[in-house]
Amino acid sequence: MAVVAQSSTFSRIFWPTVAWLTAMIFFFPIFWMVFTSFKTDADAVKPEYLFFFTPTFENYLNMTENYDYWRFAINSVITSTFATAFALVVGVPCAYSMAFNPTPATKNILMWMLSTKMLPAAAVLYPMTFLTKNFLGIYDTHFLVIVVLMLINLPIVIWMLFTYFKEIPKEIIEAGKMDGVNTWGEIKDILIPLAWGGVASTALLCFIFCWNEAYWTVRLTTTEAATLSKLIEGNRAPEGLFFGRLSAVSTAAVGPIVVLGWFCQRQLVQGLTFGAVK
Amino acid sequence: MTNRTLPRLLQAPAVVVLLIWMLVPLGMTLFFSFIRYVLNSLSRPEWTRPSIENWRGWGNYNFVLENKDFWFAVSNSVVIVGGIIVLTVILGLAIAILVNRTFPGRGIVRVFLISPFFVMPAVNAVLWINMILDPVLGLQGLAVNGLNEIVAGLRDFPILGAFFSLWPEIEPISFRATQTSALAVIIMVTWQWTPFAVLIFLTSLQSEDQQQKEAAVLDGASAWAMFINLTIPHLARPIAIVVMIQAIFHLSLYAEIEIVSRGNGNKNLPYLIGEFATNNIGAASATGIFAVILANIVAIFLLRMVGKSLMN
Repeated sequence: MAVVAQSSTFSRIFWPTVAWLTAMIFFFPIFWMVFTSFKTDADAVKPEYLFFFTPTFENYLNMTENYDYWRFAINSVITSTFATAFALVVGVPCAYSMAFNPTPATKNILMWMLSTKMLPAAAVLYPMTFLTKNFLGIYDTHFLVIVVLMLINLPIVIWMLFTYFKEIPKEIIEAGKMDGVNTWGEIKDILIPLAWGGVASTALLCFIFCWNEAYWTVRLTTTEAATLSKLIEGNRAPEGLFFGRLSAVSTAAVGPIVVLGWFCQRQLVQGLTFGAVK
Repeated sequence: MTNRTLPRLLQAPAVVVLLIWMLVPLGMTLFFSFIRYVLNSLSRPEWTRPSIENWRGWGNYNFVLENKDFWFAVSNSVVIVGGIIVLTVILGLAIAILVNRTFPGRGIVRVFLISPFFVMPAVNAVLWINMILDPVLGLQGLAVNGLNEIVAGLRDFPILGAFFSLWPEIEPISFRATQTSALAVIIMVTWQWTPFAVLIFLTSLQSEDQQQKEAAVLDGASAWAMFINLTIPHLARPIAIVVMIQAIFHLSLYAEIEIVSRGNGNKNLPYLIGEFATNNIGAASATGIFAVILANIVAIFLLRMVGKSLMN
């Protein structure tokens, strides 16, 4: 700890101040969005009301009228929830067997799964449109969005679960077997309590990725299954007329997810680097 | 059941769905890239349907390679991805080192810093291009106007006025033009992804060997020498991972380009594919194959690194 002790008073005050300022600069656009959401559309573009204005909740109260917000929000909730659930249903057994019964092929299967994630979405845009529109007739349905969101997140889900399951000591399960615990008991009494945290944070991160996805949700939907990404994308150029209401709907779209994100910072590192940085 | 059957059964669903997801659309893209396939063609109605009889060989690839939009999109993709990576790594390193100490309110600072990463890309782009970067109504426009007014006011002062009258009136930058909108995309994505770099570098810095550092201090090493000789080598791997993951993500950047640049001529590869896909499916598919090749070059390096850590 000698290094810390030697730091001067100057650096003990200066560097934290710089850190605080940097954090505030990074947070500013989000703050500004929330701040503007309490201005009326007319006030939002007047420089004299830049910082001081009469706050209003009008923009939030009129979200349904202005943007049909809840229809898109409900679509986002439905698709993200089911996609996450299905990803877990398919991913948990897979990651479980890979972690506890690894074969020589396990590593290759995992690497191959990761490689599917690296396929650029745009490369298969037309085939997906063609298949879903002309062939399967599921274009612009919740089912399609759920399936696609599940598929693009499945590799990350399996990787994250695999890294969590790998940490569980095998001896515990072996000891359970010696004590005559059957497979169901093994899962219920030993595995679930130990793996619960990992599964929960995987689910949380998967949900966030589903919610923010902006390629397939925009390109494979029109109205029926359109999510919040599609709603915002459709209002890309309001030309300053609607800054107030646009800020309100944007705040409502990202608010819950940003707050969820605060709780899974650490999992983010593991999930996005596939366990390569610890 | 034998020891081998159960694991296979458990892994089968995931493997099968991913296999279908990868092979079917990609196979179709590959097929379409070798045939003449145009959605609207009055003179050649037979081309509006995918069929092996419209075989074109390498024709679509030649068409794409001779298209100046393609080369513009490729170079623009590289500029955007490269710009974002350089900025996020430098900013990420600086901020991670800044935050990697104990000080009051460190938790809140971290929460503030990580937040941009969770903002959905569509909101990110709409927020930045309209409310912050807009040359008239955005904060950029207001700031430039304010600055000009201050300078104009100072011109009336006796002695200083002579100095300020030399100052030119600053023009706000329009980020919706072709040349500047790539810059706007770089700015907004850097804002969103710097937190990611910070988080990874911070995680890695916390596992740095403190004893080694203390020994270096005792030997009289300067802070800069310690940074270059100890911290940077320690961070080499996280930096490589940040670079490659971002390369893969940003090569398929789409929402930001669509929102900032629709119709202004600025495009990257995914956007160009989208443009081709409104009519010329053959060209869209050939471009898609090029995008796959580009992504694979990056991916091979990443998979090697991740594979190594999996062995440990």
